[in-house]
Amino acid sequence: MDTFLGAFLEGILIGGLYALLALGLVVIYKSSKVFNIAHGEIMVFLAYFMVFLVSSQDLPVALSFILVILAGMVVGLASERIFLRPLIGKPMLITFMVCLFLGILIRSITIMWHGGVPEALSIFPAGNLAIGSISLSQTLVWSFVIALAMFLIFVLFFRYTKTGLGMRCVAEDHQTSQSLGIDVKRVFALSWAIGGMMAAMGGVLLGSLTLVDTDTLGIWALIRALPVLLLGGLESIPGALVGGLTIGLAEIMASTYIDPHIDGFRQLLPFILIVIILIIRPHGLFGLKRIERV
Amino acid sequence: MLPSGVLTTRYESDIGILRTKTQWLLLVAALAFLFSIALFVSDFWLTWLTRVAIAIVAVLGLHILTGLCGQFSIGHMAFLGVGAYTVAVLTNNYGLSGWVCLPIAGLAAGLVGLFFGLPCFRLKGFYLAISTLAASFIIVWLMEHFEWHNADGLPVGGHIGLPMARLTLGGVDFHESKGVFYCLAVGVMLIATFFAKNIQRTRTGRAFVAIRDNELAAEISGISLFRYKMLAFFIGCFYAGIAGWLWAYSLRSVNPLQFQLYDSIWLFGMLIIGGIGSTTGVFFGVVSFRLLEQLIDYIRPPLENAFPGVALQLNVALSLGVFSVVLLVFLILEPRGLYSRWEKFRTYYRLYPYAYMRE
Repeated sequence: MDTFLGAFLEGILIGGLYALLALGLVVIYKSSKVFNIAHGEIMVFLAYFMVFLVSSQDLPVALSFILVILAGMVVGLASERIFLRPLIGKPMLITFMVCLFLGILIRSITIMWHGGVPEALSIFPAGNLAIGSISLSQTLVWSFVIALAMFLIFVLFFRYTKTGLGMRCVAEDHQTSQSLGIDVKRVFALSWAIGGMMAAMGGVLLGSLTLVDTDTLGIWALIRALPVLLLGGLESIPGALVGGLTIGLAEIMASTYIDPHIDGFRQLLPFILIVIILIIRPHGLFGLKRIERV
Repeated sequence: MLPSGVLTTRYESDIGILRTKTQWLLLVAALAFLFSIALFVSDFWLTWLTRVAIAIVAVLGLHILTGLCGQFSIGHMAFLGVGAYTVAVLTNNYGLSGWVCLPIAGLAAGLVGLFFGLPCFRLKGFYLAISTLAASFIIVWLMEHFEWHNADGLPVGGHIGLPMARLTLGGVDFHESKGVFYCLAVGVMLIATFFAKNIQRTRTGRAFVAIRDNELAAEISGISLFRYKMLAFFIGCFYAGIAGWLWAYSLRSVNPLQFQLYDSIWLFGMLIIGGIGSTTGVFFGVVSFRLLEQLIDYIRPPLENAFPGVALQLNVALSLGVFSVVLLVFLILEPRGLYSRWEKFRTYYRLYPYAYMRE
């Protein structure tokens, strides 16, 4: 029973983190219909930036966290302005490919800068948190708390602020929003800035949970975010949360109960989920079902 | 556009790929050049040319799948790996002749491609790309996790991979020199090109193009979307399997490291550089991509000497950086690739000095 409960809690906690990863992609996809597959590599870049600030520059953790989030905004804005702005109105696959190569470019910059050496990033107190007979890693608990807080902030932002409402309007229809006086290009830039911030937070939290490593962190994050997004639906913010918790739970359960029998099954699971979701319910639980008319 | 003075008098000549004596002459000269090059080029460049030929076969499959039918695959290298592993396992474990494995490798890759193409029944573009991305990871995972012991008791499979026996036909040993294997690769490449070029001109190929241009219109014209999309997947992955067969024999060993996601992305990059939707573009794309690769190898040592502090990083980061920048530039500035440039040049050349004729 303890194994089950421990695995259950760990799954929920890690699921919250996955939801944060997916949210960064949803925000960009909702407004500009660009699937930012470079998200993972941007995360790694920012996680290395955090390592640089904390270890080499000896800045306090809170200050460097804010600096990294600002850097994330700048990276997001720059990517949008340089690579995606010229492609407004192009088919989604072109923008998808551009993001793919953008990710590789950022990866090469990260490797050039930090040599691809894995670094440990410890910003939370070490040790485990004991609840009854279950002990959970403190890093995991704190990551979950921060992830959930960020999630709430953004949900409120989209629901109650003028800018957030404008962004949701743009997500519905570009032309209508333009004629209502919303600056669509500005919204695109803004959504990329938010995406960059999400990448910054995701990178730091994930990096402190595992290692900051160019080879594994980015792709690891991305292959977890994909089934989350597909399950929740590409356009849905609540979908990201539900999808994140479900996938996190499924993954930890699989790693607890199936991994002892099939070695390395945990790594394979996200892909199996991707294929199954794509075959059965491609638009996800909360996604928009597109109806095509002549 | 045809050269001036070439008039069509018969239907057969109207549909011919080669229509003038000059074109036939050029073809014969090119073939003679391609095969005789094996005699006077160094081993290094022969290996390079063999790799180019194999990549052309693989990218031709991608061209049929993506360029003609519009179905995206960013896991093509994994399908190539399925072909390579099929031949490696069949020759190692069951002692089959390598030549029997040639069609089997193609079929195996084609069937695996069919499976991962299944979502295309309901999905388009981007979702399909994700599905093939997953395919790439699942296939490589399977390669890494199957291990067994061969007749000598040595572990094979898994991360170690499999060795390949020599390929012989009659008295010819294809591994005797680089030149012999090069000729085999070029032969396969020419046959693959011939079929790819002709698929575009059949009913099937026209159905592919119709699906690419407008799915709804294609379906209303009576084209079975599912059937033709699956067919495109099968043919595209069949090509990948054939390329995998060549790949396995050219390297004399297979292992999971050869079929990573990045290699798939670069295969797609070759298609983008060449220009999506033309066989000639595939040749342009592969050759220029591989040349770029050589250029990077060439400029790396001086760069490493100039910046000793980052010498280690340069090894990995330089090629990633250069390729991604080149591909970004192509996607943003010239999405139709080198082929459209070539087309413009050809029109200009044929019309010279009457450029205004084009309008």
